[in-house]
Amino acid sequence: MLTYIVRRLVAAIPTLLGVAAIVFAMLRLLPGDPARVIAGLLATDEDVERIRHQLGLDQPLPIQFLDFFLRLLRLDLGTSARTNQPVMNEILARLPHTIELAVIATIIATIVGVAAGVLAASHHNSRVDYLISAATLFGISMPVYWLGLMLIVVFAISLHWFPAAGADEPLSVVLPSLTLAGFVVALIARMTRSSLLEVLRQDYVRTARAKGLQEWRVTYVHALRNALLPVITVIGLQFGTLLGGAVLTETVFGWPGIGQLLVDSIFARDYPLVQGIVLTFAALFILVNLAVDVLYAYVDPRIRYH
Amino acid sequence: MAERDLSGAARVIDRRAFLKLTLGAGGVMLLAACTSTPAAAPTTAPAVAPQAAATSGPATGAAPTTAAAPTTAPATQVGTATMRIAIGIDPDTLDPVGQTTTTVQNIVDYMVESLVFLGQDGKPQPGLAESWQVSPDGKSYTFKLRQGVAFHDGAPFNADAVKQSFERVLNKDMKVPLRSPMERVDQVTAVDASTVRFDLKAPFPPFIAAMAGTQYAIVSPNVAKSFPTSYNEQPVGTGPYLFKSRTKGSEVVLERNEKYWGRKPYYQTVQFRVVPEAATRESLLLANQAEMIILPPVSDIPKLQQNSQVKVLLAPSNRTIFVAIDVTRPGPTQDAKFRQALNYAVDKEGIIKSVLFGAADPMDAPMSSMLFGYCKAGAYPYDPNKAKQLLQEGGYSNVALKMGYPTGRYVQDAQAAQAIAGNLRDVGINVDPQTSDWPSYLAQINVPPDKSTFDIHMLGWAPGFLDAFQAMVQFKKSAWPPAGLATSHYSNPQVEDLLSKADQNQNEQERAQQYCEASKLIWNDAPWIFLWVQKFPIVHSVKVKNIGSLAIEKFSAIYAEPA
Repeated sequence: MLTYIVRRLVAAIPTLLGVAAIVFAMLRLLPGDPARVIAGLLATDEDVERIRHQLGLDQPLPIQFLDFFLRLLRLDLGTSARTNQPVMNEILARLPHTIELAVIATIIATIVGVAAGVLAASHHNSRVDYLISAATLFGISMPVYWLGLMLIVVFAISLHWFPAAGADEPLSVVLPSLTLAGFVVALIARMTRSSLLEVLRQDYVRTARAKGLQEWRVTYVHALRNALLPVITVIGLQFGTLLGGAVLTETVFGWPGIGQLLVDSIFARDYPLVQGIVLTFAALFILVNLAVDVLYAYVDPRIRYH
Repeated sequence: MAERDLSGAARVIDRRAFLKLTLGAGGVMLLAACTSTPAAAPTTAPAVAPQAAATSGPATGAAPTTAAAPTTAPATQVGTATMRIAIGIDPDTLDPVGQTTTTVQNIVDYMVESLVFLGQDGKPQPGLAESWQVSPDGKSYTFKLRQGVAFHDGAPFNADAVKQSFERVLNKDMKVPLRSPMERVDQVTAVDASTVRFDLKAPFPPFIAAMAGTQYAIVSPNVAKSFPTSYNEQPVGTGPYLFKSRTKGSEVVLERNEKYWGRKPYYQTVQFRVVPEAATRESLLLANQAEMIILPPVSDIPKLQQNSQVKVLLAPSNRTIFVAIDVTRPGPTQDAKFRQALNYAVDKEGIIKSVLFGAADPMDAPMSSMLFGYCKAGAYPYDPNKAKQLLQEGGYSNVALKMGYPTGRYVQDAQAAQAIAGNLRDVGINVDPQTSDWPSYLAQINVPPDKSTFDIHMLGWAPGFLDAFQAMVQFKKSAWPPAGLATSHYSNPQVEDLLSKADQNQNEQERAQQYCEASKLIWNDAPWIFLWVQKFPIVHSVKVKNIGSLAIEKFSAIYAEPA
């Protein structure tokens, strides 16, 4: 197992370098002049040129790429064009908030989602099942933007239970994570439900019932364990995506996360920061995937990696 | 059922079930992806609306004075409360020299001060300088400095500090996006401890107005020494508030300077909360989690005006919004009569009322009325019949125009652009409106005449200081892209002549007269569809009072106090 993990980590390096090259190229293909955007409309052409020089954008492209590449090998992500602070610092300042939100949202979504899915599957075709299916359809289709604002209107403005925005108080995390979880819950519930339904049709489940085991034993101890395998993949992938920053939720709640930083940086054509964030996200995603695969092997004893 | 394969990565589910599951999961995820892509909700304030007033260049805001300037002395009540202000963007830098956005300047103004303050009436007032003199040739300005002032770190405020601070601004190795007004400064001399003289390369009548800019605020000599070519993110100035803490993307917290030289503000702590979403800012205010916000969703302004718990201030500003017409493109845009027809065709008042919810005033000159040198230049009332008549006279039929507009840059820009396109279609002009994000849009319009892609394009312009000098840049050939941003490629020799005279004229009255004549000529030439002057909406709880504004899209709330 250890060798497997090490191999995967080593394989990640060329992947990350590929991502770096792609994002570098994509940014430079975008229309728009970063120096002018950063300097603003009122700056003179001279000042814009000076800023262009300071950002290193007047160098020929291959030189720019080489510079970027060599810095990357030294783990130096460069300096933000807008704030003049090291990219690493900018990212590290925001990343914990995104991770916090992603973790809490995923935990809520997993608990509620799996419970709902199990409930729906074990009472297949009953009213409960239809209710839960309708609720999940709602959860998946509802725009995050709308859900977030509705939660603010109800829980912050009318009831004064939670802060409407920001991340300063401990309770601030509730509304944003509920908003984020809304979609993930629905997804997990649906996955759990269909997976469990499939499993419950298997022969060995029939055998377990024939043996005389109580129904709850059959469902939870035997069926659910197997049904959860694809769900684990989905949870892992969702978590990985959430780590990239849920931009809409972060915007609605003024949550100082990395998704928003990415969008702002793209609009400001802050190349180093965009590159840094995309690379960070790629690295995190690779790690999350690896963790999910390892977890899989742990949960399913028949899986062996070599 | 398929035989169980116990090798490798086999699963317990059979192949068919597995395929069903993955397809189902994929389908569900596809559905999810389609509904949760980050498209800005278009009907209400788009998610990037806060950038509207914020990120364009209007620089040079000053340390604000409110109804009672800090110099009017005595005993005012001070409290221990915190004032929470919600703004829409995260400051890129807090260093005065790096400022480009007025919202960020607003924050920095709490901590640093310039020699000159901008008054709420738009006129310069004594700041850190008590008085100033101009030499007869207009090339030398002598400032008498205020006594008994100290920086937050204890260093004394004197002529030497001013000199060091300015040398930092003028240092070519320092990134100062808005250095240009000060580039005329040849030398800064400390005549004595309380007198500073600025020698200019050429006369620059708006110099005093420009001096009120946040970028030219005086910072402590220790900062000038430690940060000669880089930004200092913990400003050390002479202002009524000290820097306390900053959480990127979240807040900036300031605390009262108990040793401030002027009148002390009431609130002990001021917390600027970064809330990019306009609707959320409004929610904060309504939930009593903020005392004041700027730029609420425009569509909510009428409702807020009726809300007895909050007060809405539609502050006058210097930002004109217009549709620049590329007068050098081959086609009807070269004809002034055609351009005038476009002006008559657009129902500005109607759009202001129904699309902007009253948050603007129609333009009646090529600049905002808050600028020195403004005079009413004319009127193009909504008259589609007159527009059709002018088009007929010119022999224009089946005209097609390519129109560009930004989205999320100015208040309701996309919606207004669509309305304008509709107005033009009503008089028989085919308009093809296109949009893109700001940087791409800027790259498309900031081009010389031979690379132009749009016949008409929407733009806004907010001069950094309240003087016609910078507003008129839009009508000079020397500012045609790529040298500047006069994207309508307009030039009129009479106008150029008047402007070059006015730009150097020491006599204020003559200057104003010359700008006025130029304005009238420009108005008749109609290189723009003159739309409106944006208002700057500030909304605050009725529990606070003494909140005003400065005409450069800034709020003035240092001396706010409980009502």
